[in-house]
Amino acid sequence: LFYMLYLTNVKHVLCFQRVALLVASDIDALCACKILQALFHCDQVQYTLVPVTGWQDLGTAFLEHKEQFRYFVLINCGANVDLLEMLQPDDDSVFFICDTHRPVDVVNVYNETQIKLLIKQDDDLGVPPYDDIFRDEDDEEGGDSGNESDEGSEPSGKRRRFDEGAVERRIERQRAKREWEARRREILFDYEQYEYHGTSASMMFFELAWVLTKDTKDMLWWAVIGLTDQWVHDKITHMKYVTDIATMQRHVSRHNHRNEDEENSLSIDCMRISFEYDLRLTLYQHWSLYESICNSCYTSCNFKLWTLNGQKKLQEFLADMGLPLKQVRQKFNSMDMSIKENLRDVIEESSNKYGLKDIRIQTFGVHFGFKNRFLASDMVHATAALLESTEKDESDSDNFIKALDSLSRSNLERLHSGIELAKRKLMAIQQTVASCICTNLILSQGPFLYCYLMEGTPDVKLFSKPIALTLLCKYLLKAFVHSTRNKRCKLLPLIMAAPKDVEKGTVIVVGIPPESETSDKKNFFGRAFEKAAESTSSRTLHDNFDTSIIELKTDDRSKFLDALITLLS
Amino acid sequence: SKNSELIPSIKLRHCCLLRNQRCLTAYLYDRLLRIRALRWEYGSVLPANVRFHMCAEEVQWFSQYKKSLASFMRSLGGGEGLDITQDMKPPKSLYIEVRCLKDHGEFEIDDGTVILLKKNSQHFLPRWKCEQLIRQGVLEHVMS
Repeated sequence: LFYMLYLTNVKHVLCFQRVALLVASDIDALCACKILQALFHCDQVQYTLVPVTGWQDLGTAFLEHKEQFRYFVLINCGANVDLLEMLQPDDDSVFFICDTHRPVDVVNVYNETQIKLLIKQDDDLGVPPYDDIFRDEDDEEGGDSGNESDEGSEPSGKRRRFDEGAVERRIERQRAKREWEARRREILFDYEQYEYHGTSASMMFFELAWVLTKDTKDMLWWAVIGLTDQWVHDKITHMKYVTDIATMQRHVSRHNHRNEDEENSLSIDCMRISFEYDLRLTLYQHWSLYESICNSCYTSCNFKLWTLNGQKKLQEFLADMGLPLKQVRQKFNSMDMSIKENLRDVIEESSNKYGLKDIRIQTFGVHFGFKNRFLASDMVHATAALLESTEKDESDSDNFIKALDSLSRSNLERLHSGIELAKRKLMAIQQTVASCICTNLILSQGPFLYCYLMEGTPDVKLFSKPIALTLLCKYLLKAFVHSTRNKRCKLLPLIMAAPKDVEKGTVIVVGIPPESETSDKKNFFGRAFEKAAESTSSRTLHDNFDTSIIELKTDDRSKFLDALITLLS
Repeated sequence: SKNSELIPSIKLRHCCLLRNQRCLTAYLYDRLLRIRALRWEYGSVLPANVRFHMCAEEVQWFSQYKKSLASFMRSLGGGEGLDITQDMKPPKSLYIEVRCLKDHGEFEIDDGTVILLKKNSQHFLPRWKCEQLIRQGVLEHVMS
């Protein structure tokens, strides 16, 4: 059952209990986890935190902890499958699920006792009404047997008529039942066809903290990072992002006004969050401006920087703004103050001339101390790079802990190392995109585009991880749409495959919806992959919480693709 | 008269002996103080490598000190007893967040609840339940 912002009740229930927190491996979940941890610290609720990377992990973690815990909080996992069916918990286990994955499984929605979903009131889920999907079986049979038992006492003539009546009624009932079931299948198919994301989990927990008046600036910053993660990784529409930014802006103003009345202004070391209408240049304040322009998706795709023409245009663009190359190639912090002062306006003006209308985006920045300034998107990229770092000897949970640590203000070294990793990742993405486009690795398969990263490709190890591969996929599609002249291809979705585990011989496959200005970001590949795997009995692993990301045996690649092509034509 | 000539040398040697005796006593006393400190650092059971360096009398002294300390602690708090060897520094909070550094399996705490200590899991537990494991290096205190 829903609990729209299940507020003080949650707190009351959990206060004297011990809770198990099962957290998925994405940035929004990490931020939500930090907020919830802070809330638990406030109320001294004992908890155990377990990171999970997929359904198998979730199942194992649940089995290990089910003896000791009654209450489980799942962050960014668990809403889109029938959880009770999967985990088979005892009757007294209670699950609190805060998950952005949609559609929410109907069994989870209508369960009254064990599953409690934390969902924002405005989020329209489009859940089909109860009677359309569930039906009590018992009523029907009872009517028939009652009639049949009377048969014995009737004379034969009447009995035959009575029989016919009973048989007709039964046939009618069965026909109605079949119709109902067909409609039910249709309704469920429509409901579950497209996968998308709802309001960020960290924003949900921040609102919970706010209602309990326990919100702090740190929590607000984490909520902002969670929201920005959804935007950076293209999980929500632009409209939703802008709406959510406005909500966050209200909170930011509220926090900032708290301190303005005081006569003594805050020490420089205190944390300040500010609204910024800043440039869409990834990590530009921690890099050089030139590198940032070359490696940001928006600028790279619009200038087509993988072509010589594009490079020339970039030089013209810089000249147009009056920025000397020497300055622009320096570390941002070492650039002349005179250049930095009006940089944003200067860039915006020039960008408009070159057709880059949306070079600026609404976002937030934080600064504490003299040296430490970060934009929300910087944090997202840094933490994502740490979360999926491919260093040897680092297990997934090691990376999770490192990424979680980097979100605390006291772990700046970790954050800076994350930023360095993120830079390398972005450069790898740019180079891969450039090589894919220049060597025409993207093939149109009819209903979709397809690209396969072969084993020897540089940095291919980075792309064996879901978040990195999805980001590459999105950049690649955007770049492709800008570079191709084929109008039909511009509207196609993209599937990408990259080697995941060389020893086991598997690849990771990701599917993303087509690129368009008004895209609603709804992805149908989850169901498509399932059906294709079934029909060809390919050996697949649908372990990721995002159903559009699967693992597939390399040998089964071609038949799987063929099945997809036939399915989607 | 021959004896009176020897008296200064006797006195000198006697002073030396006394001095040596004082040194030895000081050394033994210092060892005693360190052994006393060991009780506060390690608890009632000393690790084997420490006990290896103690002589039998010192071990005996240690167990007697242990007994005195225990009876003193029992007498505090109106007969209820208070373990004063815990919380040597005033704790900042009742509950602390700890991170598990290695797989330790199941860990049972006083009130019977069992916690599964798996590598890289984090837990928020009362301070006194974690202290021993922190000292053993299984858990790490996370400060944020």
